Amino acid sequence: MDFDLTKEQSLIQKTAKEYAQTALAPRFDEWEEAHNVPLEIFSELGDLGLMGLPFPEQYGGSDAGFDGYVLAVEQICMANNAVGSAIIAHNLGMAIINAFGNEEQKMKFLPPAGRGEQVLSFAFTEPGTGSDPKQITCTAKKEGDYYILNGTKRFISNAQYPGTLGIVARDVDSDELGTFIVEKFCEGYSISERWEKIALNAQGLYDIYLKDCKVSTSDVLGNIGEGFFHLEAGIGYGKMGIACSAMAVAQQAYDAALEYAQQKLHRGKPITKFQAVQLLIAEMAEKIEACRLVLYKSAMIGNNSIKNPHLFAKYAALSKNFVSQNAVDVTRLAMELVASYGLMKDYKIERLYREAIVFPQVEGVPHMQQVILANYILAGI
Amino acid sequence: MLGVLVWSVQTKLACELLSAAREIDQEVFALAINDDAQAESLAQKGAQVFRLNNQSLEIANTASIAHAISQVVNQLNPEYILLSSNRRGKELAGRLAQIINAGCLSDVRALVSSDGQIECVRNALGGATIAHQVIKTQQKLIAISANCYEVPSDQGGGQVQDISVKVEDSKLRLLSTQGKPSEGVDISSAEVVVAVGQGLENEELLETVNKIANQIGGIVGCTKPIATDRKWLGEERIIGLSGATCKPNVALLLGTSGQVQFSVGIRDADTIVAVDKDDQANVFTLADYYLVADLNDFLPKLSTSL
Amino acid sequence: MKCIVALKQIPDLQQLRIRNREPVLNDIPYTLGAIDKNALELGVQLKEELDWEVVVISAGNEELEDTIKEALAGGADNSFLLIDNQIDQMDSAEIASLLAEMIRRSEDIGLAIFGEGSGDNYTGQVGSRVAEILGWPQAGYATSVSVDGSTAKVTRALDDCIEEVELDLPAVIIVSAGLNTPRIPSVMQILKAGKLPKEIITLDDLSLVSSANQIETVSNLAPIAERKQIKIGSVDELLNCLESAGVERR
Repeated sequence: MDFDLTKEQSLIQKTAKEYAQTALAPRFDEWEEAHNVPLEIFSELGDLGLMGLPFPEQYGGSDAGFDGYVLAVEQICMANNAVGSAIIAHNLGMAIINAFGNEEQKMKFLPPAGRGEQVLSFAFTEPGTGSDPKQITCTAKKEGDYYILNGTKRFISNAQYPGTLGIVARDVDSDELGTFIVEKFCEGYSISERWEKIALNAQGLYDIYLKDCKVSTSDVLGNIGEGFFHLEAGIGYGKMGIACSAMAVAQQAYDAALEYAQQKLHRGKPITKFQAVQLLIAEMAEKIEACRLVLYKSAMIGNNSIKNPHLFAKYAALSKNFVSQNAVDVTRLAMELVASYGLMKDYKIERLYREAIVFPQVEGVPHMQQVILANYILAGI
Repeated sequence: MLGVLVWSVQTKLACELLSAAREIDQEVFALAINDDAQAESLAQKGAQVFRLNNQSLEIANTASIAHAISQVVNQLNPEYILLSSNRRGKELAGRLAQIINAGCLSDVRALVSSDGQIECVRNALGGATIAHQVIKTQQKLIAISANCYEVPSDQGGGQVQDISVKVEDSKLRLLSTQGKPSEGVDISSAEVVVAVGQGLENEELLETVNKIANQIGGIVGCTKPIATDRKWLGEERIIGLSGATCKPNVALLLGTSGQVQFSVGIRDADTIVAVDKDDQANVFTLADYYLVADLNDFLPKLSTSL
Repeated sequence: MKCIVALKQIPDLQQLRIRNREPVLNDIPYTLGAIDKNALELGVQLKEELDWEVVVISAGNEELEDTIKEALAGGADNSFLLIDNQIDQMDSAEIASLLAEMIRRSEDIGLAIFGEGSGDNYTGQVGSRVAEILGWPQAGYATSVSVDGSTAKVTRALDDCIEEVELDLPAVIIVSAGLNTPRIPSVMQILKAGKLPKEIITLDDLSLVSSANQIETVSNLAPIAERKQIKIGSVDELLNCLESAGVERR
């Protein structure tokens, strides 16, 4: 058992950190206010190989493994969690094409995504359902060489950028779900006003309207009938990404609280001399350590996700739930430690507290992850 | 093998080296290369000066200066050679040390005599520690930082004699020299330093900072990012690892970091007063007195009060 | 033509901790010094302009092969390494003689670039010593370098002037911090770094007689902060502090 990073892993982490801290961290407030991350940022990330980390080089990826992906995304999230969230949704979009696309589709859709000229994502959720395949109402009607898509998709990341979107819709002829690769802003594609969120507004979230949107039959992913399977397979990328985001929030809250504790005096004594403060520090540290072990172990399992998709799905659910819930706890403990400063917009913990609350909510709520985990355990996986 | 030979291209630094040489209880020789005025100044300080005049010797050519000094070393056979640890001095030190097979230390801030050895005191590990080191070779080459020793007062009694060396063909040609666009400030010898860091958010406030510095007879210095990133002030005002080391009576630190890269340049001040808006600012740990205040309000107030 | 960039692996000082005034260097991973990265970047820029080959040379302990991947990811073409755990105990003079010997064994060299000093000890003499051993001209504190046939023009930033000199090649160039912004290596470059050509030798391969250390470190401790750290509350109090410290109003 070896808990040290390899040189390559630590250099990937360093590249992500250096770029993110110099180019992404300083512009956090500016982009939050603008509710957007400029597109050119993604091509800068693409130049450094940070847009398609786990995917093969011939498809525009960096071949850095799932471990490389997790290490880099964690650093990007440390600097700017809104950019991190956009990259996570983008990788989910790439993952599904990489896993289920044919050679022609992969060569067509993935390289510009890896270069960061396009920002992808995946659209399953609708106004009527989050993840229940039975309730999907978006329709696809085959007409000759095309499918005609109609319907609304809700809470879709990266809907405002150029690139493709894997849309799950119901084939009206077979009544089965398929995934259709749609070029954003094609005829019939439009987006809502952006949603205002509790945090991370620079990562835009939109509803998508499809009105007689034409998709060539050559842009159908895999087979009709596999739509929900695609979601199940790809969502592991999303969940692991969310775990990285939550890890970054927990780490930042802990760092900020520890720094405060080491400098703050009470009656002339550093507050770290008080056991009540020591207990808070220890509790945060325990949680962070455990989270990172779970996250990195799951990342290594992710390296074999194609051979062993169920094990990966199990650990993705476990990581996502464990890290995101602990991140909420750590942030609350940090808040407790810094007292009123935690409420002030001038201090970081206020923002982290709002960010932390995001992660248990998305890509499936906590109980859902636990049911998935239990089912994998009971199935002997 | 006895004696201390000192040389610096800058007369002031050469004079400081005479003071440093006194820590070593041996006869002192000073060298002046193509600089009669320097030879004269050093003699006035009581030094035994060797004047080396040779027009084919170019100061810009580190290799030929090193070979010239090595010939002087061979003639005088001193145990110690002191150079100034400015840029030219540091570059020369390694090359000269290699020729005369001497151990060499640069950026030395003090010489301390201990158990019959001379210990060189210098920063190590990026300023995190201070090392005491001893050179074990027969001849020892030490480059000493500026402003660590006083310029001695004139006492007369010195004398100047000529010395000559052979100069070989050069593989380097000086094409041009131009003075740096310098305001001629010498932050390292200031008695009062007013240092600004990135906590100063507004460039317009620099005017107030300058005014305050004038009001208290100080010189404005800065952290590295203020000069290199924001380009608000010239690089000769940088304090710290990549700039000057100051020893003022008083340092007023305005929104500077407490990072070691900066603090090594100011930690020898007699009194340090720091102002920052962050009540947990790291810089307060290096201050004798600190005030938590927003510089936008504080600076005009201080200037008016003065 | 080749451009040699000489690098040194040093403990990552950002991770340095002080315990009882003693620096704790155990378990700190190795990295390249900041100035060394400036030296490498200069080499890589020259390579891009002149179509030269950039060879990094370095001497260090067994971690070196790993550490140097960062330089290879940063744009070097290949590496020539001397790996031996005795290197850690060697001083600048010995390291210089080893590096000079390694450079002698390489052919067709235009420039050898060194950083002014290593981040850990900053003795700042290796480049000058190597230049002397090889009998090459040198230019320190270079801010820009241009090569024309068999000569290089170098602009140097000295204490009180900017100097432009012309050197016959081969020559040693020594750079100080901040002359350029080293590029951030891409993930693809990082993953290819380990596969670039390398030549590794040990001390036994160089027939150099090791000499005694020229420098002995008597002590190396963190300075004691003896500041009063008194919090004051007003501009008037601050003025009093300045005055009692000897400041006179003008």
